[in-house]
Amino acid sequence: MSEAPDTPVLRARGLRKEYGKGEGLIRAVDGVDLDVVAGETVAIMGPSGCGKSTLLHLFGGLDRPSGGELLLNDRRIDNLSEKALARMRRTDVSYVFQSFHLMDELTAVENVELPALLAGRSPRAARRRAEQLLDQLGLAGRARFLPSALSGGQRQRVAVARALSNEPLVVLADEPTGNLDSAATLDVLRLFEELHEYGQTLVIVTHDARIAATADRMFSMRDGALVDETRLTGGTTGKLGALVGLED
Amino acid sequence: MGRILLVLRLALRDLRRRRTEAALLLIAILAATMTLTLGLVVRDAASDPYESTRAATKGPDVVAGTGGFADLADLEKLATASGVTEHSGPYPVIAGKIEASGRMSDVQVEGRDTAIASVDQPELTQGSWVSDGGVVIEAAFASSLDVSVTDSVMLGGRSFKVVGLAVTAAMPPYPGTSCIVSVGCVHGAIPTDLNLPPGFLHNPGLVWLTQADVRSLAPAQGSMSYVINLKLADPDEAEAFVDANSGDHGGTMMPMQTWQSILADATELARDSQILLLIGAWLLGLLAVASLSVLVGGRMADQTRRVGLLKAVGGTPGLVAAVLLAEYLLVAVVAAAAGLAIGALTAPLLTESSAGLVGSAGTPSLTWSKVALVTAVALGVAVVATAVPAVRGARFSTISALADAARPPRRTGWLVALSTRLPVPLLLALRVAARRPRRVVLGVVSIAVTVGGIYVLLVLNTFLSEQSGLRAYSEAQVTVLRHVLLVWTVILLSLAAVNAIVVTWATVLDNRHASALARALGATPLEVSAAMAAAQVLPALLGAVLGVFPGGYLLFAAIITITDGDSNKATLPGPWQLITLILATVLAVATLTAVPAHLGGRRPVTEAL
Amino acid sequence: MQQEVILAMLAKEASHGYELRARLRDALGPLGEAMNAGQVYVTLTRLEKAGLLAVERSADDADRSDRKVYTLTPNGQQRVTEWIAEVSWPKPDLAEFHLKLIAAASAGLADPLTIVDTQRRELLRRLRDAQRAAMAEPSRSNAALLLEGIVLRLQADLRWLEACEKNWTHRRRIS
Repeated sequence: MSEAPDTPVLRARGLRKEYGKGEGLIRAVDGVDLDVVAGETVAIMGPSGCGKSTLLHLFGGLDRPSGGELLLNDRRIDNLSEKALARMRRTDVSYVFQSFHLMDELTAVENVELPALLAGRSPRAARRRAEQLLDQLGLAGRARFLPSALSGGQRQRVAVARALSNEPLVVLADEPTGNLDSAATLDVLRLFEELHEYGQTLVIVTHDARIAATADRMFSMRDGALVDETRLTGGTTGKLGALVGLED
Repeated sequence: MGRILLVLRLALRDLRRRRTEAALLLIAILAATMTLTLGLVVRDAASDPYESTRAATKGPDVVAGTGGFADLADLEKLATASGVTEHSGPYPVIAGKIEASGRMSDVQVEGRDTAIASVDQPELTQGSWVSDGGVVIEAAFASSLDVSVTDSVMLGGRSFKVVGLAVTAAMPPYPGTSCIVSVGCVHGAIPTDLNLPPGFLHNPGLVWLTQADVRSLAPAQGSMSYVINLKLADPDEAEAFVDANSGDHGGTMMPMQTWQSILADATELARDSQILLLIGAWLLGLLAVASLSVLVGGRMADQTRRVGLLKAVGGTPGLVAAVLLAEYLLVAVVAAAAGLAIGALTAPLLTESSAGLVGSAGTPSLTWSKVALVTAVALGVAVVATAVPAVRGARFSTISALADAARPPRRTGWLVALSTRLPVPLLLALRVAARRPRRVVLGVVSIAVTVGGIYVLLVLNTFLSEQSGLRAYSEAQVTVLRHVLLVWTVILLSLAAVNAIVVTWATVLDNRHASALARALGATPLEVSAAMAAAQVLPALLGAVLGVFPGGYLLFAAIITITDGDSNKATLPGPWQLITLILATVLAVATLTAVPAHLGGRRPVTEAL
Repeated sequence: MQQEVILAMLAKEASHGYELRARLRDALGPLGEAMNAGQVYVTLTRLEKAGLLAVERSADDADRSDRKVYTLTPNGQQRVTEWIAEVSWPKPDLAEFHLKLIAAASAGLADPLTIVDTQRRELLRRLRDAQRAAMAEPSRSNAALLLEGIVLRLQADLRWLEACEKNWTHRRRIS
C-alpha cells in the first residue's frame, strides 16, 4: 500500500440517502461521517433495516446519495456519472455479497477473471491473475468447478477472489457470512484476517458480531446514523480462561 | 365449487404477479391465432375461386358472341343447338368509355334483363342488380376505378348511378376481360410505335346496364354486338360443342369461349396470388410458433418451482395441474378471442384485393369450424404448456422441484472462452446468448423466416416490375399483385417486430440479475444495454444471412417447384440488394431491441441484487 | 476448577500429575495456559484426603508430588459416574446487568444506552480474543470446539445487548 498510514481512502461527510416524499419519507442514511484509512478493517453493525446495506451501496456507487460528500482517494464520487461510477467499480472498489452472486454458468476461475476482463485486461493476464488468487485462497483444485459444485464457504472464497481481481482500494462486504454455517464463517473470517494482514482496506457491514469483532474499528448503526465507535485494536485481555470459568 | 374457486384464485394471482410475462404470452398467442385466422380465411378465398364463382353465378359452359361477323340470327340458332340445355341472351353489347373518379377507361357495356337470368346471373358483391339509369360494374373493374355503390359514372355522355358491383364466371375478371365487342380490343401496354385502328378498346372493363339503356346509348344499330350464354348437358363436352358449332358463318368463325378457357384466363393470375397468400400464411405461422416457443418454454421452466411450492403446501398433483391449466386457459381464451376478432377484421384487407381478381363471390366469412379450429389451437398451446410442468412436477420430488433454480442457465464452455477475447459489450452479449441457446436458435429461425420471406417478395417484386411492360400482366394486374405483396410484407414485418421485442424483453427479464451483477462488477449501463441488444443482433445477423441463403433461395425453389413455374423468368436479387437486406434487418433488429435493452440496462443495480 | 473434572480425567488410567496436566492442556488449548499448576495439585490432595483417590508412589523420589501416580478408589469411581449423569449447567447471570440499567435510568445515574455501548465494547473485545484464538486452532481440535462454544455464548450475550439497546431506545422515545 502506497498511501501514508493515515490518509483516508474513503471519506464520507454528512452522507444522506432518502427514499419517498412527504409523510412517507424514509431516511435510510442520515448524516454519516466516516473516514476509512488505508489498510484498515472497518465493521458497521446494526439491526436489519438500519440502513447499513444502503450505506455500502453508496460507498460503491451502486446508489446515489441524496446529500453530503463522498470521497474516494480525495476524489469526489457522489456526483460522478453512471459510466464513471462503473469505471470506478472496475478498479477502485469491489463488492462481496451475502448471497455470493456468482454467475452459475461460469466456473470458479471464470467468475474470478470477469472483473479483470470487464476492466479491459488481456484474457491471458486476467486468467493468470484469477488462477493466482484462487491458489492463494486455497481453491487451486477447484478452479474448474461450477459454483453449484462448491460448498458455501468455498463459494464465498471465490467471491472474495473475484473482489480482489483488480486490486481494489477498498473491498466492500455486505453480510459476507450471512449465508454460512459456523465452520464456513470461521473460514471466511480467517480469509479477511489474511487480507487485513496483506494491507487490504475492508469495509464490512454485518449483524454478525463475530465478523465485527475481527475489525480494527466497529461502528454501530441505528436509524441511518453511526452512533458508536469501538476501537478493537490493542492488546488482548489475556483472560480467556475467565470466559469459561477456569479462572475467577 | 370451492375447489374451482381456489384453482381460479391461485391462477389469477400468479398471472397478476407476473404481469409482463402474462402480457407477452397473451400477445404471442394472439399473434398466432390472428395469423391462423387470416390464413384460414384467405385459404378459402383463394381456393378454387373460379369454381365457387361459377356455382354462385350459374356460370355458362360456352359464351358466344357476334363479334361483328356473325349476326344475331346465328346466335339465336345456338340456343336450340343440340346439347344446349339452357341459355340466356342474346344480350346487346356496345363499346364505350366510362368516366369515373376523373379517369377515362374503355369499357364493354352489356345490356341485361332486370329479371334473374337462368345462366350467368352475375353475383352481386354490393348493391342491387341493373335497373334503368343504374349501372352494375364488374367487381375487379370497380376496385380499379375506385368506385362503389351510390357513386355516379359517365357512360357515353350520360350520367349513371352505380347500383351494384358484381362478379361473373362468363369472362375473366378485369383486367383479363375477354373481348365481346365487334371493334376489337387490345390488352397490356401498347408499344408507342403501334398505331391502333380507331375505336379499338384498350384494356376494357365490363359493366351491365338494362337492355333499354344500352340501346339508347348505341350510336347506330350496326355498332351493336351480341353475346349469348349457353349451358350444356355435359359441360366437359364444351370444346367439342364449340368445334361443331363455330362452323362457317359466311367465311368467318363465330367467336366462342368455353368455360375451360375462361377458367384458364381467370386463374392465371389468381393462382399466382393464391400461392402468394399461402406462402405468406406459412411464413407467419412459423414466426408465431417461434415466439410462442420462447415464451411458453420460459414459463414452463418457471412453473416447475411453483409446482413444487403448491405440492409442499399440500396440493395434490391434480390440483397443481388444474391451477396451471386454468392459468393458461385464461390467457389462451382471451388471446384466441382477440386473435379471431382481429383476424376476421383484417382478412378483407387481403381478400378484397384478391376477390375481384380471383372472381370469388364476396369475402369469405369466418365460419364456426374456423373459429373452433383457431380456439382449439390456442387451447392446445395451453394444454401442452401445462402438461410438461405438471408431469414433471408430479414425477419430481417436491424438494428437488423447490430447489430447482427458476431455470438454471446453460453453460456453453467454448462460447465463454471465446467471449474473453472480445470487447466488453460483445463479451457480455455472447454470454447472455450462451445462457439460453434454445432461445438464440429460435431468434435465428424467426429472423431467417422473415428474411427468407422478404427475399421471395423481392424476387416477385422485380418479376412484376419487369412484367409490367410485357404481355403477361397488365399494369392493373401488377398493381393488384403488388397490393397483395404489400399487405403480406406489412403483416410479416409486424409479426417479426413483435417477435424481436418479445425475445428481447424475455432476455432482459431473464438477465435482470446477471446484468445487475455485471454492473456491480464495473460494466457501464451502456455496455450492459449494448450487450442486451447485441445478444439479439448477432443471432439476427446469422438469421439474416441464413434467410438469404439457403432460406430464401430454397423457399423460392420450393415455390417454383410447387407452381411448376419457370425460374428463368425470375431475376434473383443482386448481391448489393442482398447485402442491403441483411444490413437493414440487423439495423431494424438493433432499433427494435434498443428500447427494452436500454430500459433493462438502466434498472437500478441494487433492486435486482 | 471442579474436583469432579480432575477425578474424571483420571478415570481412564492411573496417571502421574504431569500426565494429568498435559491431558488438560490438550483439551483446553490456549485456555489451559491460564491454568494454575498449583491449583491442580491442591485439588488432587483434597481428593486424596476425601478418599476418592488413592496414591501409588513410584520407587524413586518418593516425596515429589508430581512423581505420585494417582488412581481412583471405588468411591471415586462412584462419584465420577454420578457426575457424568448430572445435568447442572453454568447459570448466565443477566439479572445484575438488567438491574444496573434500570437503576441507572431511574436514578439518573447514567444513560442506559451508554452502559449498553460500553458493555458491548467489552464483550466485543472478548469476542475478538476468543475469535483470534479460535482462528489459530486447527479446525477439528478439542480446543477449537471449546472456543466455538465461547464465541457462540458471547454472540448470544451481544444479541441480548442489542435487544436491550432497542428496548431502551424505544423507552426514551416514548418519554
